[in-house]
Amino acid sequence: MISLLLKKELVLYYRNLNNIFLPLIFFFLIISIFPLVLGPEKNLFDKIIPGVIWITAILTTLLTSNNFFKDDFNSGVIDTYLTSEVSIELVLFLRIICCWTFTCLPIIFFVPVVSILFDISFYNSIIILTTLIIGTPTLICAAIFGSALTLGLSKNNMLLPVIIIPFYIPVLIFSASAIESVTSGLPYEMQIYLLLAFLVFVLPIMPYLLKYTLRISINN
Amino acid sequence: MEILINSASCIKNNNVIFDNLNIVLGESDIWLITGPNGCGKTTLMRALCGIQNLESGSILMDKIDIQNPKSRLKEKIIYIGHKNSLIDNLTVKENLEYLCAFDSTVELNNKNIIKEAMIYFDILKYQNYMVSDLSEGNKKKTSLARLFASKKKLWILDEPLNNLDIKSIELFLNLIVSHQKNGGISISSSHYNFLKHKENIKYLEMSN
Repeated sequence: MISLLLKKELVLYYRNLNNIFLPLIFFFLIISIFPLVLGPEKNLFDKIIPGVIWITAILTTLLTSNNFFKDDFNSGVIDTYLTSEVSIELVLFLRIICCWTFTCLPIIFFVPVVSILFDISFYNSIIILTTLIIGTPTLICAAIFGSALTLGLSKNNMLLPVIIIPFYIPVLIFSASAIESVTSGLPYEMQIYLLLAFLVFVLPIMPYLLKYTLRISINN
Repeated sequence: MEILINSASCIKNNNVIFDNLNIVLGESDIWLITGPNGCGKTTLMRALCGIQNLESGSILMDKIDIQNPKSRLKEKIIYIGHKNSLIDNLTVKENLEYLCAFDSTVELNNKNIIKEAMIYFDILKYQNYMVSDLSEGNKKKTSLARLFASKKKLWILDEPLNNLDIKSIELFLNLIVSHQKNGGISISSSHYNFLKHKENIKYLEMSN
């Protein structure tokens, strides 16, 4: 059962490689806009680039998970989910994991390249990577939740960011604070643990939350 | 198994879809719900599946409300809506495997059952075609092929004949008749009576 579900996800991503590469290209384009707008000042960039990487990661998660359930909703697969005795929580959990693996992980692999481009020190780029690895699954969960919530509404693409970005703020505060602490030589473990705590809290309850949200969304 | 629709009414966007509906569905019933467009056939079927909330009244299965997990409704129903539940980027075979993964009565180890289902509906030659490349009729046949593989008791089929050709309609009718012989219940909706020449059919006529 699990292998069949995973196989289906992998096949779908493999047949639509755009879903993997376009977020990556988008990420790179947005990152490269900043030097064009702000001018090539080394001191300024040392200070803002971690934030820039995080903002870009947020935009990418928002765009990629916007239509997470849209096709399934339009084709009626969601109805099959909800009328089946199979544990839908498991299906949704696997889909969240796959979504993160195929849209966020490539970006995270790409961050060392960006670090070289902007001449970020090795230690700093490690901490940026760590916060991204721990933080982005929480962001993906929130964005997917938003896409389930706005499913019944047909013409409200801007509604999703408006609902979801407030949920991003805690993750952002603590990851920014971790990076800030590292650059100024302060301890940063507490922030990392908090980010981990968010993840451990959000990831297991998200499938249950999604199930009820989907039920409400298709009821209308 | 007995399903009792008990003075059910449903309101959507301030419109009364149906009001004070009372029906008893018993073993080996074939039900046909007919009525003009927009009279609430789909809403009634979704309510039977438990994915549409009722305004008042209740739907009981063996005297337990279907919204109650104890009723084990989901282990008994198969719902095929007018949307086909197919994923465009998967082939016919992959789609059937995926759909059957949601159905515990299908023995997935038995690889032949999906093949037999495809042979029954004459879509074996399309098994490696992407669903997006199929005609609408073949899409419908693919989604109905689930019924052949499944051993669930209660079939809820919303407009099952849409886009089907005459031969496939005959295959589908044979399928629900043999389901009836095995004690199963099937509920189909349509805007015309496709079961005219069959016997022992129960009708529910809905109006606006």
